Amino acid sequence: MRKPATTRRRLAIALLLTFAIVGVFVVRLVDIQVVRADQLNKDSFNKRAIAVTSYAARGNIVDSNGEVLAASVLRYDITASPRNVHDFDRKVDGKTVHVTVLQAAGEIAKITGEDQNTVYQALTKDPTSDFAYVAKGVDTAKLRAVRKLSIPGIWDQKHPARTYPDGAVAGNLVGFVGTDGPQVGLEKTEDSCLASTNGSSTYERGADGVRIPGSTVTTKEAVDGGTLKLTIDSDLQWFVQQAIGEQATAIGAQSATAIVVRVKDAHIMALADWPSVDPNNVDGTPVANLGSLAFRAYYEPGSTMKALSASMLIDSGLANPGTQATVPAAWTTPEGSKIHDATGHATERLTLTGVLQQSSNVGISMIGIRVPEQQRYDYMEKFGLGQETAVGFQGESARGIPPLKNWDDQKKYDMLYGQGVAVTAVQLAGAYQAIANGGVRLPLTLVEGCTKPDGTVTDLPSTTGTRVISDASSKTVVNMLESVVTGGELGPVLRIPGYRVAAKSGTAEVAGPNGVGYTRDRIVSLAGIAPAENPQYVVLVTYTKPAIMKSSAAAAPTFHKIMTQVLKYYRVPPSTTPSTSPPATW
Amino acid sequence: MTNLAYSLPERSPRIPVESPERVRHVEIVSSRSQRKARPRTIYALVTVVGLFVILMAQLLLSILLSDGAYQISALQSTQTELSRDAQTYTEQLDLLKSPQNLSARAEALGMVMSTAPAVYLRLSDGAVIGTPTAMKASDAAVIGTGGVAIANSLLPGLPAQDATASTSTGATTTGTGAPDTTTTNGSVASNAGELPSPVTH
Repeated sequence: MRKPATTRRRLAIALLLTFAIVGVFVVRLVDIQVVRADQLNKDSFNKRAIAVTSYAARGNIVDSNGEVLAASVLRYDITASPRNVHDFDRKVDGKTVHVTVLQAAGEIAKITGEDQNTVYQALTKDPTSDFAYVAKGVDTAKLRAVRKLSIPGIWDQKHPARTYPDGAVAGNLVGFVGTDGPQVGLEKTEDSCLASTNGSSTYERGADGVRIPGSTVTTKEAVDGGTLKLTIDSDLQWFVQQAIGEQATAIGAQSATAIVVRVKDAHIMALADWPSVDPNNVDGTPVANLGSLAFRAYYEPGSTMKALSASMLIDSGLANPGTQATVPAAWTTPEGSKIHDATGHATERLTLTGVLQQSSNVGISMIGIRVPEQQRYDYMEKFGLGQETAVGFQGESARGIPPLKNWDDQKKYDMLYGQGVAVTAVQLAGAYQAIANGGVRLPLTLVEGCTKPDGTVTDLPSTTGTRVISDASSKTVVNMLESVVTGGELGPVLRIPGYRVAAKSGTAEVAGPNGVGYTRDRIVSLAGIAPAENPQYVVLVTYTKPAIMKSSAAAAPTFHKIMTQVLKYYRVPPSTTPSTSPPATW
Repeated sequence: MTNLAYSLPERSPRIPVESPERVRHVEIVSSRSQRKARPRTIYALVTVVGLFVILMAQLLLSILLSDGAYQISALQSTQTELSRDAQTYTEQLDLLKSPQNLSARAEALGMVMSTAPAVYLRLSDGAVIGTPTAMKASDAAVIGTGGVAIANSLLPGLPAQDATASTSTGATTTGTGAPDTTTTNGSVASNAGELPSPVTH
């Protein structure tokens, strides 16, 4: 039997050794898991877990038929890590070719269309930096070409961009997006519909870059933007833009607008501005042409206002289409103000219809003054003049109608034929829509709705109308306006075979720079409604400050062209009865 | 078996004898009850094998999972490339659909636009409403004499200067991220002056 002491000693030594080894391990464990835990966690996390942004696309803008006016696309920025850029060898057809940085820069430059030296500078300017832009916004084909070059130190990153496949068609309405976000137009005002939110998630990956399954943690879901549907028809918009562009260039106008409104629901079918911006090439357009003058620019409308004045007279029962007046070419009012017609003529016996047909300032002043001023003010307000339209387009402003206390003895007559009061083209189109729609002015609509990715439709237009004049008055006024087409001076140009058309021309004087007097410039316009027996469409064409042909004869052919196309495009059945209107003379 | 060993009566006093061959080899033999109380081998075997199987299954699953991860990675890069292709084609399609391109191509083909009001055929009685008017080539070009008034910088070479639709890749404009153009197909020759008459009834 061994001595217990020896056994005990061996046991003790063994235990001590065990404890010592365990102690070493414990110390090491504590060191790693407690003392240096945070640091090690951080280090390892960066090496394994990757934060990923999942891009959500900005919503498209489409026209009423679904044609894309603005779309989101992915472009790519070619970036470099100058620290890692160096000469390298490339295998070409089995042979090894040495490629210098300069040569690599040349290869990249050939693909992206940049200058070789610019690319070389970008790659070599700051050799210690880890990031430099080589090219921005290249498309997929170029990206693939650059990737195929396999140049060390060259990477790429995504760059969401916007493309406008129809160019300047509806460019005035759609607007554009800059580097800081939407700048102008519907891109900006409807941003809440169009904007997308990027999602973020993290995942862990192995050394070869493959995701470790089950490690993806989505912290935020990506939400695409909604699709904005406009009431605009892009083909008609193109046609209208082309028409006013051609004519504006021919007559040397400073700018032009044309608006086509559907009477029954006040949807804007086309709203053209010339010149207008091509959102793909914003830098190529002067700043003044960004946006829409039709919404923004106030001008004195001139004789197109006479239709509104006649509506006021008829609706308040103070005159009828046959009301007689003896109209000289120039007239001094009881208060001493002087009114004259645009062209000289002998004293004529005109009815109210004739006054409209001949567009006589004297005639409308003589008869129109019957309406009390307060009533005229109320009518103008109900017609929507001087107020922002329901569209709420960028650049719209409410200037209001001149307050009654400012209506001096000259102005109160001038306003009857559209001088002394300022409106925008859309406001005037809206007023004509009211006249055409049985006297009910509906809110002008440009946006049909916003469809979110989950299917919900928001931003639906309002349909509550304002009664401005009675239904009977509306029919009477439209009938009177037919006389402009059947017997007026511009009648032959305005007539559309097979249809009853009602129209009113306008040649407005432009106020002088100090607001005193008028210049020799003119703003010519033509507003019309067709078919007259059952109005469907209102067209308003305006040319600002034409250099030649300073009368509304400049606007008439364009009106004819646009209205013919509108009636054709929307398959409006021809009128079954010939155009009749009350007599113009007595 | 009967125990043949038995002790003989002692003849002399006991003297301890050391004889190695006489040291008995003693074996403890378990009794039946003891054998019954011992756990069966088969259970241990099953447990161990089961454990082994589970571990192997886990290993296999994790191999499959990792393999799946590689498949997913490959499929995702395929998806990315395909969606890039889809985007390129959608862009090209939208560009070709644009009114500027269509009108330029129509013009190059020698088509003219009808500026006369529409003529209707009433199906109930076959009546023609409106006057059909033939367009002359000089009457109404699609684009008109003024050239294209509406620019589309994605489509260079619109016939403001020349009548045929030309193709070329345009330069990128930086800053706003405007894209390049990649219009395909060669230019279409126009039948200058000649308007082919329609043969439809």
